[in-house]
Amino acid sequence: MTGIIEAAVNGILMGGLYGLIAVSLSLIFGVAKIVNFAHGALLMVALFTVYWILELLKVDPYLSALLAGCFLFFFGYYFQRLFIEPILKREKDTAALTVILLTSGLMLIIENSALLLFGADYRTVRTAYTGKVWEVAGLYIMQPRLIGFVLSVVLIRLLEFYLRRTNFGRAIRATSQDREAARLMGIDDYRVYKVTFGIGTVILGFAAAFLTPFYFIHPAVGDLFVGKSFVIVVLGGLGSITGAFLGGLIVGLIESVGAQFINSAMVESLIFIVFIACLVIRPMGLLGKERE
Amino acid sequence: MRGKVACIVSVCCMVLLLGFGTAFAQQEIKIGVLIPLSGSMAVIGENLQMAHDFAAKEINDAGGVKSLKGAKIKLIYADTRGDPKVGMSEAERLIVREGVSAIMGAFQSSVSYTSTEVAEKYQVPYLVPNSLMDQITERGFKYTFRVERKGSYWAKDQIDFILDMGKKTGVQAKTIGVVYENTDMGQSIAKAIRKLAPEHGLKVVLDEGYPPKTADMTPVVLKMKRANPDVVILNSYISDAILLMRTIADQRVNTMALLGSSSGYSDPSFVKEVGKLAEYFFDLTEWTTDLKHSPLVAQKNAAFKKWTKDHRDFNGGAAFCYASTYILYDALEKAASTDPKRIRDALATVKITKGPAMIIPWTPIEFDAEGQARGARMLVIQYRDGQRKSVWPANIASTAPVWPMPKWEERK
Repeated sequence: MTGIIEAAVNGILMGGLYGLIAVSLSLIFGVAKIVNFAHGALLMVALFTVYWILELLKVDPYLSALLAGCFLFFFGYYFQRLFIEPILKREKDTAALTVILLTSGLMLIIENSALLLFGADYRTVRTAYTGKVWEVAGLYIMQPRLIGFVLSVVLIRLLEFYLRRTNFGRAIRATSQDREAARLMGIDDYRVYKVTFGIGTVILGFAAAFLTPFYFIHPAVGDLFVGKSFVIVVLGGLGSITGAFLGGLIVGLIESVGAQFINSAMVESLIFIVFIACLVIRPMGLLGKERE
Repeated sequence: MRGKVACIVSVCCMVLLLGFGTAFAQQEIKIGVLIPLSGSMAVIGENLQMAHDFAAKEINDAGGVKSLKGAKIKLIYADTRGDPKVGMSEAERLIVREGVSAIMGAFQSSVSYTSTEVAEKYQVPYLVPNSLMDQITERGFKYTFRVERKGSYWAKDQIDFILDMGKKTGVQAKTIGVVYENTDMGQSIAKAIRKLAPEHGLKVVLDEGYPPKTADMTPVVLKMKRANPDVVILNSYISDAILLMRTIADQRVNTMALLGSSSGYSDPSFVKEVGKLAEYFFDLTEWTTDLKHSPLVAQKNAAFKKWTKDHRDFNGGAAFCYASTYILYDALEKAASTDPKRIRDALATVKITKGPAMIIPWTPIEFDAEGQARGARMLVIQYRDGQRKSVWPANIASTAPVWPMPKWEERK
């Protein structure tokens, strides 16, 4: 029984991180309607940013998230400005398809540039939290995962507050609901897209900082998370922040607890079974809103 | 008069040019090498590439292939990206577009399995240094040769080692767990262990294949903790090896022994990234730097270390790639031709007893009718102070093994 509880705890902790990564994708996906296949590559950029900050400045990994966030905001902002915006402006009708091709291409370019620049070595950072474990009633809880989880929850509350209570947050939500109407109300939709993309990459920066103490960094590391993120985003409901986070927790739980009962090679299909079942019952996702 | 001179000179020039032309054509023998050079396995691929390059450089510096008037070996690398489909199309490209005389590769069993099929179709010899899936040499192919021991024999060696340690120390393992990446390589070993372990009185209490690209190893490790096997046999590539090792330590999973199956666990970046956690870890491997059977082992490793930019040692995979390049060289000398069919015939009859290929711990190197290296054998190492020390079998071991491993709580 303790084994199952332990697995559930781990599933929730890891699920929180999946959720955070998916929230970032969901924001970009939901607002700008951009299917961002370069999401994994952006996560990798975020991980390397955190890595170099830690290596060069030797600060606390959680503090590095703020520094990385500053850089990554502009990275995301100009990523949208330079690559995606021209296509959105020029190809109004077919942009969705072109953007998929574009982001897939950018993913290859970013990953291979990283391979060229940093080499194929696996890197790990030894922080004060690495390998630290709290023992609670016979359960081992890994410190960096718990801290990462708690901070993820805080971060997502903050993000929701920003989207609900601030003017620009409202503009983002308005654009997400109806771009044309938002435009008529005087909202600069392209600026909203850029800022949204920037915020999305900042969240990735935080996710990277939470991962770094117990993970490795490698040019292809994004591949491990990106497929799952798409599933989570659709499961939670397109554009729903809480939904994406909840989706992350569910996938984390299935992955961890499911593996205690069936072979872990089968768990992946279990995730997809739940995913399909959910789509049949609620096509708009767990917390998605129905659209006409 | 002048016209005549000009004529003679130009004829001479033409002859010279022609001569150069043909000499130029003979100066290179193209050999294709299929390895993963991008994606998560790129770090392994780069390591193997250095070994191939080093062997080719040595051969070319020593005058190339003498039976072909000193023709140089030119290695043409093709990136498989670790994908069996890409492996096939790259093999086809190497043969049809680049016109290679032979191929080496492709590290991963799944990629070797598919790409050897292409080579068979085009009748180009394919030398496999590293892949262990049984079926690679069990399809009646005429152009596939493998230096590595078969996967099912690996399992046998691992069980033998576990039983042997039990007898020697009195601490006998009763239960066993198998944890592997659920691809061709992992399944080969797991299948054999599932069959062999009960025959030797070992109960398999955990049989867990995890999918490639697993982001979190904790579920697998928690399962391991609950099953509580005496010995766990692990089979992973590199990122999963790093994650597994760290998680096992985090969760304080104590066993008599953790026994790896080379690949990720023998990669230099494994011990670099997990550091002290690798201490006392056992690894069944094809090769190690402290082997004493031939002075060439120390010599060639030192030379490789000096030549590589980051001064690295050979690992098992790299040593086999290095030796394989020499085996192919030997076949080229014998064939005295760049015709793939002739090279194939020469490979089928090689019997190497000297030269740098002898860093491999058995003599002679020869292939049976299936194309499988005869006499291939394995050894076990244990990580001690970050070094890979050979501990089994006793007759070639340099160090006494620590069995059982100390508990995590008792380590510093």
